[in-house]
Amino acid sequence: MLLLQINPISDALNSSEWVFPIAECFHIAAFAWSIGMIALVDFRMLGVGIQHSKPSQVARATAPWTLLGLAVVLLSGPVLFLSDPRMYLYNPSFRFKIGALVLAILFNYTIHRKVALSDTASPPVRVLVAIVSLVLWVSVVFGGLFIAFA
Amino acid sequence: MIYQFFQWLQSTDFMTFIRESGLEYPIIMSTHLACIAVFGGMIVITDLRLLGVALTERSIADVVNGLRWWKRIGFIIMICMGFMLFGSKATEYYPNPYFWAKMTALFLVLIHAIVFRPLVYNHPEELDKSPMIPTRAKVAGVLSLIIWTAVLCNGRLIGYWEPKQQQKAPATTAQVQ
Repeated sequence: MLLLQINPISDALNSSEWVFPIAECFHIAAFAWSIGMIALVDFRMLGVGIQHSKPSQVARATAPWTLLGLAVVLLSGPVLFLSDPRMYLYNPSFRFKIGALVLAILFNYTIHRKVALSDTASPPVRVLVAIVSLVLWVSVVFGGLFIAFA
Repeated sequence: MIYQFFQWLQSTDFMTFIRESGLEYPIIMSTHLACIAVFGGMIVITDLRLLGVALTERSIADVVNGLRWWKRIGFIIMICMGFMLFGSKATEYYPNPYFWAKMTALFLVLIHAIVFRPLVYNHPEELDKSPMIPTRAKVAGVLSLIIWTAVLCNGRLIGYWEPKQQQKAPATTAQVQ
């Protein structure tokens, strides 16, 4: 905790008024990108969206783009965090968001991936997994925005 | 004239309610943002498909036709949420250059649609028939990515802008001292 209080990275990040907004633009564009790709798979599991394709095909095709987006999200996020670590750590919305994010990523690369790639999964299972995925990712976005209001 | 309209809009009961509400305002903003995440990806994947870099094993028609209505639904929700966010603080948005930059970018979205719908989006099957993806489709994809990125970034920057008087306030104090 002491380390977080005297933080040269925070000083560097706060020395320019543009670092935070630019990092935030990258963060938003990249989460739109990555969550949007995952949502395409979810929509396909719900039977809508890109036509004439199996969820597995959409999942395979979007996987590298999802990963690219997530990489930018996970690089820009810590930049935002390090501008004021103490504020974030004690912010209940931030804690909720990180919890939801960890769950969402774990879910995405375990159960979600398995069900999306298996074309034999039963329809109710597919629908359930798609809804859980959408709810988890939307929760991350809500938690992130509520940091500013908590 | 525009300012008077903004004043009137902001003073309506509905917009006053949103402005003075507790949780409603951030919930509207979160929904706006969540729509960007869920539906924004559809714009991205359509553009990437038109550029021939993603989902190439699926036809352009499958992507464009399959996502058309979902993109429209997302767009309508996003516009409604955005209008409430703007309307509840319209007079604060009026002098904000990023707000006008975002509106300009949204106007370009409209122009993009008018130009490229007949050329590209209304007939995706024709693009699939061509051995190479036609240049007009690639131009539509690139411009769409650029314009939407401008909408997004200017949208976020609206929140960072402050009127000049407030920015100069500390300097004035220093001069007095």
